[in-house]
Amino acid sequence: MQNNVTLTRKFEFSASHRYWNEKWSKDENEKIFGHNTSPYGHGHNYDLYVTVSGPISEETGMIINLSELKKIVNEILLEFDHKYLNLDTPYFKDKIPTTENLALVLFDLIGKKLAGYKSLILKRIRLYVTQDAYADVWQDT
Amino acid sequence: MAITVSLTRIYSFSAAHRLNSETLDERKNIEVYDKCNNPQGHGHNYKIELTVTGRPDPDTGMIISRTLLDKKVKSLLHKLNYKHLDNEVSYFKDKISSGENIVQYLWDQLDTHIGGKMLYHLKLWETNNNSFELGR
Repeated sequence: MQNNVTLTRKFEFSASHRYWNEKWSKDENEKIFGHNTSPYGHGHNYDLYVTVSGPISEETGMIINLSELKKIVNEILLEFDHKYLNLDTPYFKDKIPTTENLALVLFDLIGKKLAGYKSLILKRIRLYVTQDAYADVWQDT
Repeated sequence: MAITVSLTRIYSFSAAHRLNSETLDERKNIEVYDKCNNPQGHGHNYKIELTVTGRPDPDTGMIISRTLLDKKVKSLLHKLNYKHLDNEVSYFKDKISSGENIVQYLWDQLDTHIGGKMLYHLKLWETNNNSFELGR
């Protein structure tokens, strides 16, 4: 039986966002979201760790060619890098672009792209919004 | 296949302690705890990584309000920050303030404070090289 190995690569992107729920008054929004409600948005340098798992190819000694993984993820991140998440991407029209929600969106997009790779699975992503907060998304197999 | 999302926040506190067991003699204490047995105590900058899981609330997009979580955690850490654990925190009066026992103390307190079995994982860094973990 061959063991699966995981491989993690780090990516970086920068984006701005704003937390605002249209259903709530200004006071309610400020109470829940604090300084995240600033009308012009604010930004972060996000660190994204992508972990894939699969068997090692006998031909290459790799789970996936790192430059291939880099290409796939960077293509996805183009849509987010140096963008205002609320308005420049289609994912947060009815969702607040919190770290949790952004991580779920990225997990979905990366997972779909990797679905074509036989025996490789997207194990987990970790998204740091600041040095002291991050969201993980993973799938139990 | 189930997809799970978690949120982790990192907090820190600084405290002094001494590892010394009443049930061991002086020689044995030095043997077991080495420099951590220093009679006058010593201190650390502790760091905790606290992970909660759950479905993000559709209204807030968050698993738990960050402000509320910070408030709960900081009010607990306030009891430890800049304190001598063995002398100033009653839990450690008759319990050794090892990383294992501190992470267990924090887990019990935080699990009750946060409620709803949202607390998923807790990692306590004693130094950059030592960490202790508890999880569901």
